[in-house]
Formats: sequence, structure tokens, C-alpha cells
Amino acid sequence: MKTKAEVIIIGGGIIGCATAYYLAKMGIEVIVLEGSDHIGNGGSSRNGGGVRQSGRDVRELPLVMYGIRNLWPTLSEELEVDCEYHQDGNLRLGKTEKHREILTRLADSARNVGLDVRMIDGDEVRAINPYLSDEVICASWCPTDGHANPLTTTLGYYKMARRLGVTFITGEPVTELRVIKGKIRQVITPNHVYEGENVLVAAGLDSREILTTVGIDIPMTNSLLECLVTEAQPHMFDQMLGTAEADFYGHQTKHGSFVFGGSSGLERYNKDNGTPVNSSKTAPCICRGIMKYFPDLANAKIVRTWAGWMDASSDGVPSLGTVDEIPGLYVACAFNGHGFGIAPAVGEQLAKLIVTGKTDVDLGELHYDRYKAKI
Amino acid sequence: MKRYDLIIVGAGPSGLSAGIEAAKRGLKVAIFDENEKPGGQLFKQIHKFFGSKEHRAKVRGFVIGQQLLDEADEAGVEVVLNATVIGLYQDKEVVVKRGNEIEHFKGNAIVIATGAAENMVTFPGWTLPGVIGAGAAQTMMNLHGVLPGKKVLMLGSGNVGLVVSFQLEQCGCEVVALVDAAPRVGGYGVHAAKVARTGVPFYLSHTIVKAEGEECVTGVTIAEVDSKFQFIPGTEKHFDVDTICLAVGLSPMSQLLKMAGCKMEDNPKRGGQVPICDEYGRTSLPGVFVAGDVSGIEEASSAMIEGRMAGIAAAEYLGYIEKKDLDTELAALDLALDGLRQGMFAPKNRGKAIEQTEEGIAISQNLLLHGYVADEEIDRFPGVTHRSGVHPVIECTQNIPCNPCQDACKKGCISIGANITSLPIAVEGADCINCGMCVASCSGQAIFLVDEDCGDGTATVTLPYEFLPLPEEGTKGKGLGRDGKVICDAEVVSVKSLKAFDKTSLLTMRVPKEYATKARFFKAV
Amino acid sequence: MNSVNDRSRDIGPFVPGPDDDMLICRCEEITKGEIRMAVHDGMWTLTEIRRYLRTGMGLCQGQTCSRLVKGIVARELGISPAELEPATSRVPMRPIEMKIFANEAPDEREDG
Repeated sequence: MKTKAEVIIIGGGIIGCATAYYLAKMGIEVIVLEGSDHIGNGGSSRNGGGVRQSGRDVRELPLVMYGIRNLWPTLSEELEVDCEYHQDGNLRLGKTEKHREILTRLADSARNVGLDVRMIDGDEVRAINPYLSDEVICASWCPTDGHANPLTTTLGYYKMARRLGVTFITGEPVTELRVIKGKIRQVITPNHVYEGENVLVAAGLDSREILTTVGIDIPMTNSLLECLVTEAQPHMFDQMLGTAEADFYGHQTKHGSFVFGGSSGLERYNKDNGTPVNSSKTAPCICRGIMKYFPDLANAKIVRTWAGWMDASSDGVPSLGTVDEIPGLYVACAFNGHGFGIAPAVGEQLAKLIVTGKTDVDLGELHYDRYKAKI
Repeated sequence: MKRYDLIIVGAGPSGLSAGIEAAKRGLKVAIFDENEKPGGQLFKQIHKFFGSKEHRAKVRGFVIGQQLLDEADEAGVEVVLNATVIGLYQDKEVVVKRGNEIEHFKGNAIVIATGAAENMVTFPGWTLPGVIGAGAAQTMMNLHGVLPGKKVLMLGSGNVGLVVSFQLEQCGCEVVALVDAAPRVGGYGVHAAKVARTGVPFYLSHTIVKAEGEECVTGVTIAEVDSKFQFIPGTEKHFDVDTICLAVGLSPMSQLLKMAGCKMEDNPKRGGQVPICDEYGRTSLPGVFVAGDVSGIEEASSAMIEGRMAGIAAAEYLGYIEKKDLDTELAALDLALDGLRQGMFAPKNRGKAIEQTEEGIAISQNLLLHGYVADEEIDRFPGVTHRSGVHPVIECTQNIPCNPCQDACKKGCISIGANITSLPIAVEGADCINCGMCVASCSGQAIFLVDEDCGDGTATVTLPYEFLPLPEEGTKGKGLGRDGKVICDAEVVSVKSLKAFDKTSLLTMRVPKEYATKARFFKAV
Repeated sequence: MNSVNDRSRDIGPFVPGPDDDMLICRCEEITKGEIRMAVHDGMWTLTEIRRYLRTGMGLCQGQTCSRLVKGIVARELGISPAELEPATSRVPMRPIEMKIFANEAPDEREDG
């Protein structure tokens, strides 16, 4: 079995798979190590499918806008898989004046960085999406946002990367990284020792413990994300939806089913039983939230609920890029539950960074070492 | 949140049994079942069960279902119907959908008794309307009074395939063939025999090539397979049918356990994904028990005992009984369960090719290959004797745990003994009074009363008859052999339907005396 | 299961079969050929197959097809079906209308 490569990627989610793909396209030898039994088993397969710019912290905006402009439109073709990418806009809905304030603030700061997002009132919202209830009084509207299928996109990157010669090994949880003569060198699992000049840690929450073994700390906590999906419904609308207080978000898929995520407000205190699991309180809560906005969906049958752990950082944005103090080490984690839309850009830019030392988008603000005390 | 001592999911034989035992020991029990009628599969079982008296032998399945319900009611068990348990959450929480709302409940202990679902096999055309599971056909016929089709091919010769084939015929369907890829009949010989004698041909070592039809099934082609289950060219046979029933095994419905984080294993011997549990149904989740098919495919009789074990184990877990009482009770139930798991079809014998009975008699190979005992084989068996006057002829030729025939005869004409898997013996010298109780009590419909020589060149054969309309006295027809083929003329002498026979009518037919040992079914013309 | 699974292991080429167009997952209308091809695309676990193709995502949530899919994938990989871990099971056990799921019966309090 192959244990040496130019780049070792830890984490078989969409970040790891996308980076591996773009590296392989440049002719680089890559090994991807996934701790669980399945590719894309973490947030990559559990998120709500949003490919959005609006509602993000401005520090992430250049990267995600780059991806939506340059990578998403041709991704299905490139990966020979249906990513189901729709660029039909994003409505972030508000029901109260407080919601309007939150949304306006987000929209203003995004516009300052060049994003085409604006506030619209209730009537205009219903002109775009006639299924929304009268409770909606406003929304931020970003026409270049959209949604896609995270399952096929992640596995599409995996498929193509594998076809281009990337070695993927599942069931290989990384326990330790080792610095040899001042440079990152070894990746250790219970079964093998892998070696490479470059190591990318893109393992979601698990990244923290792995990086600790070489003295790097990326502070993250876990936060449960809970979702549900309905049976196929007749086609209703194509926009991505969200709310000011993020009490639910979702879209209608190509299949016709509605995928919605939401929260009960108790996420920080949830537990699991070996696999991320919903609390019995959440799905009913999400349903109530959805029906307030979409009374027409009251009879749609829910066929499945699921949950996943988000890797949350204190400032809500990821740690990306080089770890200067350890040559050869790169990180990409703490995506706070919105790593899907930004993943193609992250993968492509990280690949460029690893090979050329340079990126097209400035990653400076997402440096892992940015955390400072309050005084 | 409302809390019960014990929440049971599924009001089938194992669930009801668990509830009864727990409630009798003082637990507050609720059973949730998604169906509108409780009893699980029991209410579809219109045939008489096997076993011994303690296993409720010779009682029809749906009657056992009613008995269990009455017992549950008496014990104070709350049986909630039309209540779908949609989730088993951590902390032994159950969410139930009932009508327009959902409700959260907690149980100090939980028993999952959700049973199993039917397997499918694929062949070109398997998704056409008209291809249904045998269990589904049974539900249509026996619960809803809907005919599944007019002309049926049955795939699968296990007990489900055999029993449902007979029930299809009782409803008025024509079963054109009974097919199995295996080389031998998988279910009890007596079930096969009662189907074969009505004229249904058996095709072992055959399976379906394809189902035909545009909008629904209109025909089916089968072909013989070799030892590697590859089709043998030139052996195709075609049948015009509108229904194909699949009786190809069951898989446990263990999803609720998986959701809650129970440790599972893939066990082909138990039917697939089953929870890892001890012999009393305790799973890896403390306080969560399992019973019945969900923990391993078997049948209703063993499900009931497993249910009782789980109910008693839950009672001990919650401190309602002492451990020493638990041990005593479980030991007794273990013995009862063991009693069922004996004989030719015991789990431990599954897959083995058994050549001889426990008594050393060669098993009828014809029965295994064609579904009926051949004329030249039948005399081997101790239930088959010849003497003057009416006497019982017991055509029970395999060791299965079953003995209602012994108790049925007040004159001691039939003997099985302490070991209930022994073949029944027609006792020499015993005085048969032609009461007919043995014929009616045999769940396998394998006992006949025969007068081999009436003195006028004829013989009479009394056989169990469970078809409508009942023929009238004097009706002229044909006698069919064990192979279901017409072998002689026959005339109905009498048709007796006594309450004690429990809906098995006794048809006595007169045939030429040379057919006394061969004619075993009547067909009107 | 959690055992090391190197996805560069050679499982041989995809050889078209005579029944590749036969439906296996009835709810989502996925064929045998699609499942077999997916294995050659790298989908070696039932969970990956499910996410890639939608087998088992329909109304019956795999009740009908999961056993069949397991057999097909195992054969394509040259392993025993028992070595393939089935996908997770999730609430709800049966499909449930949003308005019913939303309608939680009021909590009965013992203390009135």
C-alpha cells in the first residue's frame, strides 16, 4: 500500500477531496486519509446545501465569490456528476423589525465588499416566491446565491480525484503528526506511518486534536446541526432560503424533496450516541418554523431527519492556509457549518498555495493564528 | 413527559406476550402498534398451529391472537392502536404518531417487538403490478377480503409459501405452480402435501426467468437451475398468471434499535441485521429488550415465548421480581422454547440434508422433491397401517414438534409419546369409533379415516376439507391422488361440520377399493 | 466496522451485464447497472452508494432495496455481503406529515 506522497491530506470531506482533486490536476501525488469508513461522512454530507455569499462574514466573502464566479458554474461538467447547482438567488427572510436590522446590517457590509445583495420588502419577496406567507415583512435578496447537492458534489470530487490517481484510504484515523528536523513529515495512524513534504489537516472537529500533537491549537467547539427532508413534491421554487435568526434554512432539490435545516435553540447542549443524532425536540420545532413561512408544505411528508456536528470557531469563520511555524503544514477547518459553498474555492486555492506558494484570493484574514484576547 | 414502566413497540404475538407477563407482575405497560388491529401476523394466520397444548397447538392463528388480546386486557395492559412509533430516542424515549399529533413518552424499560418485513428477489419484470410478497397477499385475503389475483405463481417453498398457496386456493385463486430454486421443499412436508393433493405442481430447482406484461403481470417464465443456480438452457416453462407471489424470506425490522444506538450484527442465520442480545432479549442498551422476529426470524410460537421472557426480564430489571424468580421462570420458558426447536426443522438442523427420521426411517425423497409422498413410500411410516373397518391413517412422515392427534383420540388409537417430535403411530388393536376428531385436530391435515373394504368393491376415505362451497351428499366427482392427479371416480357420502372440528369439515368419499390407499382429495365435476 | 480500506485496490474493470437495466431501488428508480458503475466510481460502502445514487432515500427508506443493493455491491467488490455495513437508520420510522410532526401533544403534568 502506498504510504509516501508529495501531499498527505487528512480528512475525506469535501475540503480534502476538492484539494486533492485540484492538486492531482496539477500532477501532484496525493494520499487522502479518512478516519471513518466513508468519504464525506462529516459536515460534507449533512449540511443544507447552501452555495451562498450573503449572510457570511466579510472575511470569507472574497473566497466564496471567487468560487461562485469561477468554479461552481462548470463544476458538474468538470466532475462528470450532477452537482445540481442552481444559481437562483437567496432570500434571507425576516418577520420582525429586529430581523430587518440584522439583515440590513449584513447586507450593507457585504455590499461594501462588492456583493450584489439588497433589502426588499414583503411584497417583493412574495413576487419572487409566491409560496411565502404574509408573516414575512422583508428579506435580503442576493441573486447570485444558490444551492447544490452536497452529497453528489463531495463524492464527485472524490471520484475524479481517485480517477486522476489520488490514493484514498478510509478507516485510517490519524493519531499523531510528527515534525522531523523542523519540517512536517509524518502522519501516524494506528496501522501505518505516512510520509509527505506537505500535510493538509482538513478533518473538521478532529483537526484540533491532530494539530495539538505538533503544538498547534485551533480553538473549536462542536455544535449540532439538525436537518430533515421531505418526500418529493411538485416543483415550487428554486431559491435558497434562510432566516434572519437562522431558525431554518433550506431549498427544494432537483428530486423535488425539500431539505431543511433548523435548530431548537438547545444545540450547544445536545449529545449523541455514537453517531450524531437529533434530539426529539428539534424536528417538531423545525416543522413549526417552516409552516409559518410555507403553509403549503403542511401536508408534505418528512421521510428522514439527521444531524451532524459543526466545527464552530469563536468568530464564525474558518482557519485556512499555511502554518508558518511548521513548514509544509496547512490547515483548513472550522467552517462553522457553511463550508460547502466555499469548498471548491478553498480546494482550488489551497492546491495553488501548496504548489506555488501563492493564491489568487488573499487568505490573510483567515489565518489560524489570528485569535487575540479582548484587551 | 408521560412515563410507563414498560413501553412495548408492536402488538404482535411477542409484544402482547411480553406485555401480559410484565403487567401480571405489577408493571404499568403500554403497547403501541401502528396497525388498526393488534395481533401482528397472527390475525392473518387462518390455519391451525402446531406444537403441543402449551404451545396452543391446533388453535387457529387468529384465535390465538384474540386469546392474547383478552389476556392483555385482563392484565391491564394499555394497547394503543393506530399509533406509529416513529422514533426511539436516547434516554429510552419514544415518539408516537397518533391521529394528527405526536406524543413523547419515556419508558423505564422498552421492548422492541416490531417483527420483520418481506424480502424481494429481482428478475426482469419484478416491478410490474402483480408481483407481491406472499405476506402481502395474505393481508389482502385474510384481513381485507380482497382477492390478490386469479392465477398465481408462488415462488418459495418454505412454510410461508406453502401455507399462503393453500390459503390462495381457499379464496378461489388458482395456484398454477409452486417454484423454488432450492433442490428440496423448505417447509413442513405436511403443508406441502396438502397443497400438492389439490393439484398444484411443484417445481424444485427452478426459479423465475422473467415476468411478462406491459402494465401488469400477464405471464411468467421459469426454468431449471443447476447446482450453481445458473439456468439450464431448454428447460423454460411458461405460465399465464396475473400474480406472482414471492415467499423468499423475511428480514427483521430493526431500524428503531439502530436509531437508538443499539449494537447490531449481520447474522444470516437470524435473517440479517439483528440486535446483539442474550437469550432473554437484553440488548447492548440497558433497559432495552427485544423479542420475536426482530431479534431473529423464527415463527409465532417461539415469538410468544421470547416475548414472555422479555416481559419477565424487564420486570426483574425494574425490581418487580427477584432474580431468583427470574431464573426459575426463564429456565422453564427456555425448556418450552427448546421443545419447539427440535426435530427436522430445528434451527440447529437448518441447511442439513436429513435422510432419516429419528426412528431410522428413510425420509420420503418424493415429498422433498415434488411435495407429496409417493405411493410406494407411504407404507414405511408407523402412522400408516392396514386393517379391516374404519381406522386412522396418519400420513405424518417428518419429525416436527407436534402432538394434538394423540390427545384427540379418546380410544388411544394414536400414540406419539413423551418426545413430541416422534412420528405418530397407529396403535394396533385400538378401537376406532370413527368420531373424526383426529382428522379435524391435525394441523397438518395429514390424518384420514379409511375403510379399505366396505364389502361391495368400494372403500371410503374421510379427509379434512377446508374449502367452500361444501359439496353435498351424493355429489359425484373424482378422487385425486397425493400428487393431485385424478385417479378414480368418487362420490360424496357425507360432509360433517361439527363445532368440535373448529371449521375443518370432514368429507367422506366412496372410491373403488383399489384406491383406498391412494385417493386423498375430492374434486367435484 | 472500521477497518482500513484502500480505495486504490484493483477490483477489475466494469463489465456490462445483461440485466444492468433492471430496477433495484423502486422508489428512486435506480438500476443495477448504475449501482455497479458507482462501485467502479469508488463508492465502496453502502452509505456512499446511498448518497451518490439515492438508493434507499425514497419513501420506504431502503426497506425493499437495501438487501438487494448490498448483494450487488458485494459481488462487484468481490467480498461477502456480511462485510458491508448497512447505512444508518433515522427517525421517522414511517413518513409523517409536517403538520403532524409539528403538533406535539401537550405535556401532562402530575402537579396539575
